[in-house]
Amino acid sequence: MQKVDVKPSTFEELALPLLPALYNVARWLTRSGNDAEDLVQETFVKALAGFTGFEQGTNFKAWIFRILRNTYLTSRSGLAARRTVALEDELDDRGDVSLLDGAIDRQTPELNLLRLADQAAVAEAMEKLPPPLLEVVLMCDVEEMKYKEIAAVLEVPIGTVMSRIARARAYLRRLLEEDQRQPKGWNA
Amino acid sequence: MNEHLSAATLNALVDGQLASEELRAAKGHLDCCSSCTSEALEYALLKNSVSRNGQRYSVPAEFEMKMRSLIANASVLPAIRSGTVQRGDAPRRAAFAGWAVAAAMLLAVGGVVVLEQHMRHSEVATTQSASLASEILDQHVATLANSQPPQVVSSDRHTVKPWFQGRIPFSFNLPEALPQDTKLDGANLVYLDGRPAAQLLYSIGKHRVSVFVEERTGTEILSKTLREREGYHLVSFNMGALDAIAISDVDPAKLAELVRVIEQVQNGSR
Repeated sequence: MQKVDVKPSTFEELALPLLPALYNVARWLTRSGNDAEDLVQETFVKALAGFTGFEQGTNFKAWIFRILRNTYLTSRSGLAARRTVALEDELDDRGDVSLLDGAIDRQTPELNLLRLADQAAVAEAMEKLPPPLLEVVLMCDVEEMKYKEIAAVLEVPIGTVMSRIARARAYLRRLLEEDQRQPKGWNA
Repeated sequence: MNEHLSAATLNALVDGQLASEELRAAKGHLDCCSSCTSEALEYALLKNSVSRNGQRYSVPAEFEMKMRSLIANASVLPAIRSGTVQRGDAPRRAAFAGWAVAAAMLLAVGGVVVLEQHMRHSEVATTQSASLASEILDQHVATLANSQPPQVVSSDRHTVKPWFQGRIPFSFNLPEALPQDTKLDGANLVYLDGRPAAQLLYSIGKHRVSVFVEERTGTEILSKTLREREGYHLVSFNMGALDAIAISDVDPAKLAELVRVIEQVQNGSR
């Protein structure tokens, strides 16, 4: 790893700017304000306790998000999510995720574009995403983390990150298509 | 035409995660494949939409303060304040410092959590107490202003007590002997915070007294700051499974005397 000579930073300087992001992700994952606060607080406590072991110059954001995620996974809601969602992270020979078959509709791009502009429908679809898929799109699209950073948080190979993102977006698209088929709105 | 781009490649493309060689190949394919171009555009729109919707929740101000306080308390420890990374030349000190930090953190966080819970409970209890005091004051003043007689008019405790049978989900005793100048005027069935309660009406001289009796709720009836409201004195007392609150503008000593006899007869000491 490349040595980076940085001035020692305090925990406040590093962690407080990330509080909004941590809370937002925690709120999405737990789907409860109180649980999100508990999760972030526990994350901060663990991060503070382990801060002496954090290597200056490395990616603090990935480090503290990993703590958040591990804390979430050992929480009651996290354990429930892991029990109910099976993740298939293997890509097929073409680099596609096998479960995506049928989810991609190449015939109606115009309709899809219109549908994706419906913010309320997207928000509703996000709420239906299983937590393991939701967390990866939040890190990628909201936190704008690189695949390498996400891989560090999830402690999985980059290929797994790629397939999980593809799976998450395919899931979203499928939910949006189902929503579109409902007899309402402009498609009725 | 080349085979369509995979979902993983399309996603990596919109995420800007393709290596230069992969990017060149993908762009080459998109130049001649409208289907994949539409796909890529759709993924880009989806990414943009998720990004906007994903920033939905903002940190509650109170919680942010709490986290700042948590960090500030922990930051008195030099290792956390300076971000000093322990090296291998002092493993014992590092281990000790780690445990010390963890112990201090546990104490600090435990203290904050306990204090927070205590404050929350106190706030809730104070609010409930203030609300109950207001309700009782309103009821008492409304009774004074009402030209109609009480629902049960009697100075006989053997008439007043049975009147409540079937009207309230509990029973209570009334004292036979009352302090000097004090008499029972009657009673009303009222509701306090949606719960049925008995409003016993007494007179002490020319002053009117209401004594409200209800089932015990388990919370503090009235806090010390609520014992005087709008010129009226409020006295709360417990009678086993029942709570009671007396209110009047009479001399507090005389009110306390009435409360004492009611309390005694209910608790069986008289």
